[in-house]
Amino acid sequence: MPLWFVRGLLRGVVSTPYPARPDPSVAGLPTPPAFRPGALGRGVADSLVAICPSRALARDDDTLVFDAGACAATGRCRDQAPDAVTASGAWELAATARPALVKRIPLARGARR
Amino acid sequence: MTAGQTAQPPGAAPAAAEVAAELRQAVTRQFGRSLHIRTLDTGSCAACEQEIRMLAAPHYDLQRLGFFFTPAPRHADLLLVTGPMLRAFAPAARKTYAAMPAPKLVVATGACALGGVYQPDPFSHGSVEQVLPVDVWIPGCPPSPLALLQGLLVAVGRLSEQAAGLGFTAADSA
Repeated sequence: MPLWFVRGLLRGVVSTPYPARPDPSVAGLPTPPAFRPGALGRGVADSLVAICPSRALARDDDTLVFDAGACAATGRCRDQAPDAVTASGAWELAATARPALVKRIPLARGARR
Repeated sequence: MTAGQTAQPPGAAPAAAEVAAELRQAVTRQFGRSLHIRTLDTGSCAACEQEIRMLAAPHYDLQRLGFFFTPAPRHADLLLVTGPMLRAFAPAARKTYAAMPAPKLVVATGACALGGVYQPDPFSHGSVEQVLPVDVWIPGCPPSPLALLQGLLVAVGRLSEQAAGLGFTAADSA
């Protein structure tokens, strides 16, 4: 019996097909943004659309359209508007339908910026 | 069964949804425990390839799940495509897909393959789905090995996808 198998049993470490608990290796990875709708006005949304290098953002009237599939997680939108954008921490993003990755985020009507 | 039929389009009729569910079950039966993967670079910067290579390393050990990389399209069940599908590479991509035996799956990997980064222009189609019928989309630039692993398990029906439930909104706490 291989030693690594015995060592794993002694330490109580089990190999699972998929991480049974949050994996620390993904904690520091860049992830797509999460938006705070209350802090997102048209002006802020337009500035985010202009700064996104991967065409993941677009504005449709009072809605910010975010394509998580196109997002390269550069973090530029977070740098541009730290009050309105934060890291989502989401990385399990695989989808069996492309539209499932396109999200519509309502903008705050009263927000000036 | 051909690739592209397993994905359920939004607003699909209930009958179509049932067919899609049956096809997905068939994919799970066929590929759930043994899947051979052919990678295809259609103009990637090679960051995705580096992450894909990590899947075979001991930490992730893809082989323990019954997933294997194969150099031959004729031995492949799943085509893992990276890059924005350069027009010069499209004929080779079509030939690779045609050489694979059915049933087969196509997984678009990385922001370039999903239509981010590059627009359609005289040099590039801009996304993989312009040329190949994609079944699963894995976002990321590049997607981490765990994200790739999740995508592969979603492709064979061993994990349920979470993308539809994500809103990408945060509480207004700032």
